[in-house]
Amino acid sequence: MELNGEQFIAASVPAVWRGLNDVAVLGKAIPGCEAIERISPEEVHAKVMFKIGPVRARFAGKLLLSEVVEEKSCSMAFEGSGGAAGFAKGRSRVELISAEGGTLVSFTTEASIGGKLGQIGGRLISASAKKIADDFFEAFAKELNPLASEISNGGES
Amino acid sequence: MNPKIPLDMIVNGNRVQAQIEPRRHLVDFLREDLGLKGPHLGCEQGACGACTVRVDGQIVRGCLYLAVQANGKVVDTVEGLTAQGALTELQDAFMRRNAMQCGFCSSGMLLSAAELIEQQPQATREQVREWISGNYCRCTGYHSIVDAIMDVLEA
Amino acid sequence: MKAAAFDYIKAQSIPEVLALMREHGDDARLIAGGQTLLATLNMRLSEPQLVIDITELAELKGIELSGEYLWVGALVTHTEIENAPLIKKYAPILQAAAPHIAHRAIRNLGTWGGSLVYGDPAAEWPACSIAVNATMVVRGLQGERRIPACNFFVDLYTTALAPDEILMGTEIPLANAKDVFSFQELARRHGDYAVAGLAAVAKKTGQALSDCNFVFFSVATTPVAAVQAQNLVNGQAVNAELITAAVAAARAEIETMEDITNSAAAKSHLVGVLLERALKKMLAD
Repeated sequence: MELNGEQFIAASVPAVWRGLNDVAVLGKAIPGCEAIERISPEEVHAKVMFKIGPVRARFAGKLLLSEVVEEKSCSMAFEGSGGAAGFAKGRSRVELISAEGGTLVSFTTEASIGGKLGQIGGRLISASAKKIADDFFEAFAKELNPLASEISNGGES
Repeated sequence: MNPKIPLDMIVNGNRVQAQIEPRRHLVDFLREDLGLKGPHLGCEQGACGACTVRVDGQIVRGCLYLAVQANGKVVDTVEGLTAQGALTELQDAFMRRNAMQCGFCSSGMLLSAAELIEQQPQATREQVREWISGNYCRCTGYHSIVDAIMDVLEA
Repeated sequence: MKAAAFDYIKAQSIPEVLALMREHGDDARLIAGGQTLLATLNMRLSEPQLVIDITELAELKGIELSGEYLWVGALVTHTEIENAPLIKKYAPILQAAAPHIAHRAIRNLGTWGGSLVYGDPAAEWPACSIAVNATMVVRGLQGERRIPACNFFVDLYTTALAPDEILMGTEIPLANAKDVFSFQELARRHGDYAVAGLAAVAKKTGQALSDCNFVFFSVATTPVAAVQAQNLVNGQAVNAELITAAVAAARAEIETMEDITNSAAAKSHLVGVLLERALKKMLAD
């Protein structure tokens, strides 16, 4: 499935970049995140419990960053295993664009979900992924709120 | 942790008492604990209908019904209903119409059809097709099954 | 596949259920009809520690006339709705919708409340509950509150029910002789998840419809009312021109969502097809 979007965050590009690279912030923003650990500058491991409707699937996931351009863009490869529930794998590209009053986070994602979740959940995978992304950005923006004061103090434009 | 739950129910007219794990669904209990192989397991998701059994006079998906929920209830499988003679007309019609090949869907088909005949004795062919759309058959192509059920409805 | 092990308790009272929910949080699941829950557990898409059986709770049962409302308890099964004379008289659209829900064996166990609380985008009852202006009665440890159906379905699989609350049932205003309705559902095979659906209810005087509710399902993450189309039709004599205008309005206002069966554009097209059929049917009644 594909998930592409643009999300406006009321925080400066450097603040958003810092946030996206800070496992403490990610841990609070990713819906259902139970544990998160940075293994190296490029690799993050996380345990996430996905709650959609009746489903409660705990995924152990790995995120690998590449093509990193500081405060601008990066690519990510991710894979996760949900045990009996199934597995997921995909690639994503994220770009930060300066915008009036904040940052536009532009992302494209291609993922495949396999196993039971893919078979049964296939009907609503896109809608579920979109909801998770929306929930993530909402929580992420809240986490950044203290950092967003950088903008209002006349820093970036 | 996960204590077994005591059960007391009627299966095919006989009183059954047991202690079982809550997660065991009704068809596993009937097949494995009671040796009643009539109901079959196809998908264990409620889609195929091979597991259809009767609880307190209504058809249910036995794979979507915990054995513990049958406590105090009356359960009938194809074996019991056959012994009672409740399915004779349908079974005769199935045989005449060649409505059974491998037999995997048949127990579910019979249970399903029996409830239709009881609830909608004026059912049309279209209504029969709609009613049994919850029972998958991989062999017959369904026409002979519909014919058999219509035979009984029109008799 | 077999479900992972869990504990099981058959609750004897609402306070008991609420206390257990408070104690176990998301580690416990309620079982009523179990038609969604057990399929999920069988596939290990969820592994709760505890399953709380609420089927014994009398307060959640029954279809009853209660003053100016029809009470439909959360534990009422789809089959009971399909057969109840009170439903036929006071909420007939529900009886038209019931046969579309899965198959008979599932309808014999599956419940009104279960379908409402899961809020599956393709489910019939959420859209119907909005179309009949139902009010959800929910109870938690803080007490009881009422939520109009039009505010109940918030997001994908998300309702206004708090995690420590239980749906008791719904109060439905009584339909009368002026009420007309049309229930439309498109599915590939009978009993499949809906590709697109419409629960339409209105009051009819002569050729004019008013108090229109045109609630679509399986075209977005929640049921969605075609408000502009409703406003266009309200109080007007229904003719070919009005139908065309209403169809165009509904197609324009509803942001459809693609799914495994159809693109968003196809869903928009179907929105118009269903509304046209519904308006014609209500006009003819």
